[in-house]
Amino acid sequence: MNRSTKILRYVLRRLMQGIPIIIAIIVLNFFLLNMAEGDAVDVLAGEAGSATPEYMAELRAKFGLDQPLPVQLMVYLKNVALLDLGYSFRHDMPVAQLILDRFWPTLLLMTCTILTAVGFGILLGLLAAINLNTWKDTAISIFALITYATPLFWVGLMMIVVFSINLGWFPTSGMENIAAFYEGWDRVWDIAHHLVLPTITLSLFYLALYTRMMRASMLEQYGQDYVVTAKAKGLTERRITFVHVLRNALLPVVTMAGVQVGALIGGSVIVESVFAWPGLGMLAFESLFARDLNLLLGIFMISSVLVVVVNLIVDVIYSFLDPRIEVA
Amino acid sequence: MKRLIQGAVLASSIIASSFTALAQTDGGTLVYLAQPEPPTLASYVSTSGPIGLVAPKIYEGLFDYDTEGKMIPVLAKSVDVSADGKTVTFTLQDGVVWHDGTPFTSADVKFSVMEVLSKVHPRGPNSFREVESIDTPDDTTAVFHLKNPAPYMLRALSGYESPMVPKHLLEGTDIKSADLANNPIGTGPYKFTEWKKGQYIRLDKNEDYWKEGLPHVERVVARFIPDASTRTAAMENGEVLYTGYNGIPNIDAVRLRDRDDISVTTDGYSMINPMALLEFNTKEGPFTDPAVRRAISNAIDRQFMIDTIFFGYGKPASSALSSSFAATDLYKPMPNYPAAGDVEAAKKILDDAGYKPDGDGVRMKAILDVIPYGEDWRRAGEYLKQALGDIGIEIELRYEDVPTWLKRVYHNYDFVMNLNYFYQLPDPVLGVHRHYGTDQIRQGTHFVNSSRYSNPKLDALLDAGAKEPDAAKRSAIYEDVQEILAEDMPVVNLFEMQFLTVYNTKLKGVYGSAMGPYGSFSEGWLEE
Repeated sequence: MNRSTKILRYVLRRLMQGIPIIIAIIVLNFFLLNMAEGDAVDVLAGEAGSATPEYMAELRAKFGLDQPLPVQLMVYLKNVALLDLGYSFRHDMPVAQLILDRFWPTLLLMTCTILTAVGFGILLGLLAAINLNTWKDTAISIFALITYATPLFWVGLMMIVVFSINLGWFPTSGMENIAAFYEGWDRVWDIAHHLVLPTITLSLFYLALYTRMMRASMLEQYGQDYVVTAKAKGLTERRITFVHVLRNALLPVVTMAGVQVGALIGGSVIVESVFAWPGLGMLAFESLFARDLNLLLGIFMISSVLVVVVNLIVDVIYSFLDPRIEVA
Repeated sequence: MKRLIQGAVLASSIIASSFTALAQTDGGTLVYLAQPEPPTLASYVSTSGPIGLVAPKIYEGLFDYDTEGKMIPVLAKSVDVSADGKTVTFTLQDGVVWHDGTPFTSADVKFSVMEVLSKVHPRGPNSFREVESIDTPDDTTAVFHLKNPAPYMLRALSGYESPMVPKHLLEGTDIKSADLANNPIGTGPYKFTEWKKGQYIRLDKNEDYWKEGLPHVERVVARFIPDASTRTAAMENGEVLYTGYNGIPNIDAVRLRDRDDISVTTDGYSMINPMALLEFNTKEGPFTDPAVRRAISNAIDRQFMIDTIFFGYGKPASSALSSSFAATDLYKPMPNYPAAGDVEAAKKILDDAGYKPDGDGVRMKAILDVIPYGEDWRRAGEYLKQALGDIGIEIELRYEDVPTWLKRVYHNYDFVMNLNYFYQLPDPVLGVHRHYGTDQIRQGTHFVNSSRYSNPKLDALLDAGAKEPDAAKRSAIYEDVQEILAEDMPVVNLFEMQFLTVYNTKLKGVYGSAMGPYGSFSEGWLEE
């Protein structure tokens, strides 16, 4: 059997294993969420001011909330099996559409964040390891500690105060300049411009993690026998570091990145809130307080699917980074 | 990084040039903050605040009201009330069309009131409860036939409270789940264009608007920013020009009002009349005795709450009715407690009623539920805990999320004392009766008589007050109402809240309506 068929069979098997996990997650979420007091009708009626009990009963019947819980769950599972995520009565819109609207902004922010955090994290970790115990190493460690320990919302607000209000370089919030409604490349530029502050804020936090990890991982590899062999062979420091050590040191970082991509897809409530970025985190947060369970279950399900898929991708990447690890 | 900064400079120069275009009276984009994001734009099925911030720019009512409360013609040119108060004739504007081009006629008025507002609107069944039938002799005349005189009805005709909706798009559909909820078609100055969930709602100028020469601005955009500090920053940066209903918290508003380009006003809320209050369970628990409730009312320093927690914005409550009702001569102050509180008097009331303190000075213990609408209320709860502790009532605070809280107070009645606020609206019949009437003890309905206070004498007065067309007699009736409520105090009214509108001074022409942020912005324009 050649390698690609092997990988394909592995991927398929892992996907099949993922299905019961996702079903279990749905069932668990469903019961957890239903344990909360009050339902979507309570919230809608509460916001509306006053509504009669008959009106509320009518709404409950329309939303299907008058059915017993197991029936509601079976209906939901049946719909999910048919790839129908249901309807958000609060928004009067299909859940799939609501999630899709928020999915691209989330993906955009998260991709930029992960690339920045992992990229700079690896770079800084590498620099720290090469310059072990010099002032550069100390400076990088202090920087990493400070960014990791500072609360995200504070960093975000300070970014706004410094770069938006005082310097005027970037807009305070949002994803687009809505006084202008740009088209084409102007719009791309505009979105990129709005993306800068939230990306920096969010990546600062993760950056610290990758920096520390990369540094530790590099140091560990330097102590390995193969490095001694390489040195004995007369290879240059540069070659040892970049060809041998770096590649091995990347493995734990990639593992970590994989786990975090999954979590990041769920969005970051804090950064989305501070920068008014239209992501999934804020949508989930709002639907929790509105008891919009269909929408919330939909978001959770998409997140769990993505975690399964991303972990799978990471496992496949392993086998490329280190051919000794085989998929089986 | 260099390219990024170049991009930033480029983009900001584009922003700058788009703002120079606002120099003329006409044109420009009015960006304002709506907080939080509305769930839909179906203002005809929900009076939810966030919907009110957007929908009245699209849907209009028959009348608007100026800051003195006088009626301003909108879709109706004039109104005529017969001598017995039972026939109300509206003459409509000529040449009004819906945003889809269909003409607006008296049939739309009839359908809106009879089929929509009276049936599926939260407050409409109350506002229009006396309407028996509506005749439409021609396209611009609508004659309302009432069972009894309904003086309050004429105060509930704004585009926020009673929007006129298109019959041709709603008739025969399930109104509560009609397509219109997310694709509104109205007669207003701005047409719905686009809704990017989580970001903004964009409305464009209605070129065929019936009012000659209006609106001035090309586009109105409602922006959503979840974080209060960021909203303040966006206002400081001039990215947004207007926000109402404390979209910018008081703590930031008092800082911004000192700037030359930003102002703060408390106008525009006189049809809403919010009143902060304490509701009590009058059936069970420690607060069934009116004497205890009067003692609590005496123990609270209302002015301190206003000054310290709400930065001076508010007015101590002096009766069960808001002092704004002085405009219709319904308000009478009932000063049986001082605004700054009187701890000794409160203690004496409790002593006389036989509630003696134990060794630790504690007379009774209770849980205070706090309205989950933000930090200010939490602070207010903490103050109340301290103030009531001073007279020997030991308070524990409970803070839950909105659905849990609503369920507890209005469905399970599982509370003894609840910090809350109520909109008293433009007339007591619309906003105050629901808090006290026996017929308003409706389990599972929010913001009604959760105290379960019931007094046949008061019920009779409320009924008479609703039907009395004579202003002087009506005033006398409500004086009796306020006396009874000051004595029994099923609710301790704390203070008349003042919401803040924070705006950039280059935005003009949107401050004349009593509806404030719930107004249509039809005359708004932008100055360089």
